[in-house]
Amino acid sequence: MLNEILLSLARWLDSQSWSTQIHESIYLYSWIETTHVLSLMIFLGMLCVIDLRMLGWAFDKVPASTIANRLDKPMMIGFAIMLISGFLLYYAIPVRTTQSIWFRTKVILLILAGINAFLFRAKMQASASSWDLDPIPPKRIRVGAGLSLLLWSGVVITGRAIAYDWFDCRRELPYVMYWAAGCVDEMAAFQ
Amino acid sequence: MDLYPLFEWLDTSLLADISKAYGGTFAVIQMFHLMGMALMGGMVLVGDLRLLNILLKDLPSEMVIDNTHKWFGVGLTIMIMSGIFMSSAVAMKLYYNSMFAAKMAALATGIIFVYAIRKPLLAGDHTELNPWTLRIVAVTSIMIWFTVAASGRWIGFS
Repeated sequence: MLNEILLSLARWLDSQSWSTQIHESIYLYSWIETTHVLSLMIFLGMLCVIDLRMLGWAFDKVPASTIANRLDKPMMIGFAIMLISGFLLYYAIPVRTTQSIWFRTKVILLILAGINAFLFRAKMQASASSWDLDPIPPKRIRVGAGLSLLLWSGVVITGRAIAYDWFDCRRELPYVMYWAAGCVDEMAAFQ
Repeated sequence: MDLYPLFEWLDTSLLADISKAYGGTFAVIQMFHLMGMALMGGMVLVGDLRLLNILLKDLPSEMVIDNTHKWFGVGLTIMIMSGIFMSSAVAMKLYYNSMFAAKMAALATGIIFVYAIRKPLLAGDHTELNPWTLRIVAVTSIMIWFTVAASGRWIGFS
């Protein structure tokens, strides 16, 4: 049911002239993708600095909260640019992207990374006063930072893998792959 | 100097065999390339925005540069190692790709700039330097590394 709704939405987006224009333009799509990659440098770069501090591997003489608070704003600016450019990339090729197993995994990892960031922040705000000046933060904070880097690495690799057509619906795949990718028509044909 | 033999050698190397045979390996290595780029980019931005007095203003710039430089080196190493592997998969195509040549030129400029100019210049007390020198170093650094990243992405489009 959800797959049908998502596919209908993707087809509606695909029918819009702006979607086609971005997809078929010689330079616009490339520039949007370049912006997406460059904003990754801003967002993920800032995130790396924060997580390395939380792991005790960088800026160990600076209070952890100082690094987290000061880098939060540029990190969120990078994230906003990444989100807008990411949506435009999806908008340009909505049907194939909706039925991409890589895109679906990326969205799940993004949600998990978001939950981890939320819990991490809550944990940090609740206890920062007790370890803020410690060169190496407590284990639970280090685990959160490590998990953050791991989840974002997953987001990067699955994001990059969207370009590969190994598991596209048009290919001959096991039923479970059609199900995971939401290949509605192929699943119907299979049955 | 014609680098054709170097690309030809890379095209027939063991690395090329691995990268051509297993598409998945290429994708995973590319992830390391992007993560290395993000790590390096983050360190460049934090260091240079501190020199421009935009970020971490309450911390001594010497300390920020010192902390970011070490991890910049780690990011750069990851990027170069993974970049060599990725290049081996399409070595002959890259030889004729003008955007790849542009990226290599920008990368060489960046490495020379960092290790021959930026690092020695910022090794001492920053208050002894003209504020405009710091600003010019920071803006040049950001421009070079964003050019490296952007031209890298455009290799795939050209």
